[in-house]
Amino acid sequence: MIRELSRNIFFYTTILVFQIFVFNQINLLGFITPFLYLIIFIHYKTSYNKTILIFLGFITGIIIDLSMQTYGCHTFATITICYSRTWIEKYSFGVNSNLPSAMISGTQLINRLIFFGIIIFIHSSIYYSLIYFNIELFWTIVLNIIINSIITFIMIWLISQLISNK
Amino acid sequence: MQSIINSIVANRNLIIYLILSFISFNFLYINSSLHYNEIIKTATYISGKSSFLSSSINSYFNLKDKNQKLIDENLKLKKIELEYKNQIIEYKSLESNSIINASVIFNSINKSKNIIVIDKGTNGGVDEEMGVITSKGIVGIIKSVTENYASIISLLNTDLKVNAILKNSSTIGSVTWDGLNSKILKLNDIPLSSSIKIGDTIVTGGMSFYFPKGIPIGTITNYDNSSLEGYYEIDVSIFNDFSSLSNLYILERTDNDEIKILLND
Repeated sequence: MIRELSRNIFFYTTILVFQIFVFNQINLLGFITPFLYLIIFIHYKTSYNKTILIFLGFITGIIIDLSMQTYGCHTFATITICYSRTWIEKYSFGVNSNLPSAMISGTQLINRLIFFGIIIFIHSSIYYSLIYFNIELFWTIVLNIIINSIITFIMIWLISQLISNK
Repeated sequence: MQSIINSIVANRNLIIYLILSFISFNFLYINSSLHYNEIIKTATYISGKSSFLSSSINSYFNLKDKNQKLIDENLKLKKIELEYKNQIIEYKSLESNSIINASVIFNSINKSKNIIVIDKGTNGGVDEEMGVITSKGIVGIIKSVTENYASIISLLNTDLKVNAILKNSSTIGSVTWDGLNSKILKLNDIPLSSSIKIGDTIVTGGMSFYFPKGIPIGTITNYDNSSLEGYYEIDVSIFNDFSSLSNLYILERTDNDEIKILLND
């Protein structure tokens, strides 16, 4: 129990440090910043408490917002994916969604792809809509959402593979 | 009671989510001027649309009062016309203004930052930072504009400070509102060396982009000369009754751009 907790805290801290000091500095083509920290909410086990997940999302969002000076955009996007994760799980994994701790290793590849994709896409959509907050920039927002979702997806997928192989 | 607690517990995630969303939006609203302005613009648009219906019904039933007010206004205009003819031109600087007429559709007087919404917007020639008056005196300054509506920072708003002078002595000061009584303003910066008395009229000073010189504000009802800072503390009773505003006039100062160019140079 304590071992699992300390492992989770270590994972959480490492990801946050990487996001703040490495990924926030990346600015591919001038506008692409991969949101690696979403991996925290993707790897949060289904058996864990959902209320804690929402608070975890809030705290993580605030930390990222303060480090990127985005004033609440990340916070709202993260708490939204944390709150809606129950439905995303049901939609992606169907009847298997309440199997504890089977999130990464014991599920179909297509289910995992959908699960990762939906979480990243919802987060990017909310984040970029709030950051630009202007309907006249609709196509810029869409372009940002699509490209950033793809890059973030690839990063998170690769790192997930690394973690699960270990 | 038990069932209320049960339903709160059952929906705790939703409640926590809503509270945290509110906090993060508040964070956004306070810190980012882009979001602040967009939210204010949307709020102006929505409050304009929603108040329009109720105000049009109200205005039908208030026609009698309105007629009386128009008669009063006509009388006042007649007086001004006579004053013109007698070469006592106090509204001289109004010549550089053209005037737009508008009706109030939303008005508050019970907050510390009161806002008025009117039924004219960019389509009616209204723009930001225009001065707003009635036949009795000044009302405020246009704050934000949509196509068909505009919001005004009322004189009853603790953020607004208007340049003012004593009509008799031309001593310069500024009027502000302290947020307490909707009929009383504070006149500041009048040095103890100038002589004032109860009943003196306060008018705009003309040293701003928004109002020409000589538009009435109110009369002195009370003053205190015991301040150690060398200035009077003066209470001014407002000519306008802000609780029953209906017709407003918006002043378009055509020489504003020229003045701004001069200042920028």
